Amino acid sequence: MTNRTSLQKRLSVGLTLGVTLLWLLGVTASGLVAQHEMNEVFDSALQETAQRILPLAVTDILNRETGTGNQTAPALKDHDEYLTYLVRDEKGNLLLQSHDADPDVFGKLPEEGFSDTPTHRIYGAAAVSDTLYIEVAEPLAHRRKSALEAGLALLMPLIILIPISLMGVWWMVRLSLREVVEFRQSIETRGVGDLSPVERGRLPAEFEPIAVAVNRLLERLHRALETERSFTANSAHELRTPLATALAKVQRLKTQVQSDQLKSNVAEVEGALRSLSLLTGKLLELAKAEGGGATSQTPHNLVPILTMIVGDFESQVPGRIVLNVPESEVNSLLDPDAFAILLRNLIENALKHGSRKQPVEVTMSDDGSLRVSNGGSIVPPDQLVLLRNRFARSKTDAAGSGLGLAIADAIATGAGMTLHLRSPATGRQEGFEAELDVART
Amino acid sequence: MRVLLVEDTEGLGEAVRDQIAEDGHAVDWVQTLSFAEVSVQTTAYDLILLDLILPDGHGFGFLRKLRTAGNKAPVIILTARDQVFNRIEGLNAGADDYLVKPFDLSELSARVAAVARRYRGNPNPLIRVGDLEVDLGDHRISRNGQPVELTAREWALFEGFIQRPGMLLSRSQLEDRLYAFGAEIESNTIEVYVSRLRKKLGRDAIVTIRGMGYRLDTHDQ
Repeated sequence: MTNRTSLQKRLSVGLTLGVTLLWLLGVTASGLVAQHEMNEVFDSALQETAQRILPLAVTDILNRETGTGNQTAPALKDHDEYLTYLVRDEKGNLLLQSHDADPDVFGKLPEEGFSDTPTHRIYGAAAVSDTLYIEVAEPLAHRRKSALEAGLALLMPLIILIPISLMGVWWMVRLSLREVVEFRQSIETRGVGDLSPVERGRLPAEFEPIAVAVNRLLERLHRALETERSFTANSAHELRTPLATALAKVQRLKTQVQSDQLKSNVAEVEGALRSLSLLTGKLLELAKAEGGGATSQTPHNLVPILTMIVGDFESQVPGRIVLNVPESEVNSLLDPDAFAILLRNLIENALKHGSRKQPVEVTMSDDGSLRVSNGGSIVPPDQLVLLRNRFARSKTDAAGSGLGLAIADAIATGAGMTLHLRSPATGRQEGFEAELDVART
Repeated sequence: MRVLLVEDTEGLGEAVRDQIAEDGHAVDWVQTLSFAEVSVQTTAYDLILLDLILPDGHGFGFLRKLRTAGNKAPVIILTARDQVFNRIEGLNAGADDYLVKPFDLSELSARVAAVARRYRGNPNPLIRVGDLEVDLGDHRISRNGQPVELTAREWALFEGFIQRPGMLLSRSQLEDRLYAFGAEIESNTIEVYVSRLRKKLGRDAIVTIRGMGYRLDTHDQ
């Protein structure tokens, strides 16, 4: 698994943030428009109020018996006075004011039309040949409060809408990518040797070409591996048959010749043919080991194969091998034939180079750990690391091709396993041990 | 034993045939499956040596047909195919052993002897019948501790008796064991060889059942 960002997560977060941002922009624009419209309404109300009060105020002032002087218009009932007004003459002398009006809010001289102070919006109108002025003031705080309440009214639904939008986007993205996730899981969960086509399901059109390409690649790989396996098997057949003929003919000839010299010569040819057969066999095994045929598409129980291979050796070297196998199956994706080659090489190696006085122990545990160990002298660490190399041999008098451990290592590597070589063997003071976990592929 | 060798490679077939014959068995060598099928229909073989890749088909098919027909003759597969699944398939199809080419002829002889012993229900190569001690592996017989020398044809006939001690063998069954040696079978051939065996193994070693055949006496004489 990688730590790359999930497409589902990226789409969900991105879409939610995008929708939220658009919502906020929309609300801001709506708020600004609403504020503008409200200001127009408020200004109109201010203007209307001034124009309605002015004639009444003029009549009131002209009908006064006491002449000029300030009078406060009484309130009919207690109330919050958002609109306050002053009626003044052209010199600014106060003639009439509303009961909550603060003269300090207004300018020293009255003005016609709209004007703003830091705290108020004011509208002024004149009458009686511009000798009487009315000015109506409205606190800007009132307008801001109204705008704020309107903005909040627009924002409030977002508190609910944003989580719903987030969940909706997340669910929609998840639903849309479900087939893609299943496709990914079907690739992730398959075994290393499984080259069967990946189930495409109902992948979105954008991902369909990827699935097609993956399946084409798997098919090509499968065909290539099959061709390689078939070639190796056919090569083995084509090489082994003439070798078998030559060896059998020489062995028959050996029984027929009378001359000791000739018999000795024939025996030398027979020995050379045996060596050639052995080397051919090992090279064919190495070709298979390195050819990518170390894994199979379906798991196989390796215990019967282990028993069969050890049984073959038992007939050649009776009593030399001690076999321990579990009662349960040990299933592995390691190719049965590759496993047989690997095991045969490990046992041959142990028999050839191990002490003849001690048995070769072949143990497989029920968790798939395979161990082949033998007695004998310790292999120094500097030689131990070289044993996996082709034609590398430890300091020994035993005959061998020098390919056995290289073949075993190539098969283990090809199957994604690690072949551990140890000397001394586990639990011994000396000897050699090869160990690998066949269930881990 | 009467052995059928099915091998299409000329040189290898010759060498195997000569080796098995030298071991004292009568060998019929065929190079195709069609000839092998005719052979098993007309002759009762004690052992079949079967190559797998043959010009007219695969040996497994022949082996399955053989077992389906109820033929229980032991079969040793001789093949250059060394894959485990081939071997398992062969054993599942009814083979008794599997020998991968190239092999030593001595190894083949040992396997032939082992399979033959297994089929006779006696894995021990040394058996005792009456006062005879027989080493089936080395084709040696001793009577009261004294070695007895048999020719290849005498051994072939005697082996027929020793495989079924105490049981009746018809004249035609005994003649069949000698045919493979290319012997001219006259009307009195069996009597001649039985007479020779009696001289070497004891007068009462082989009992004549008049009009029916012969059987090996299993009692101490």
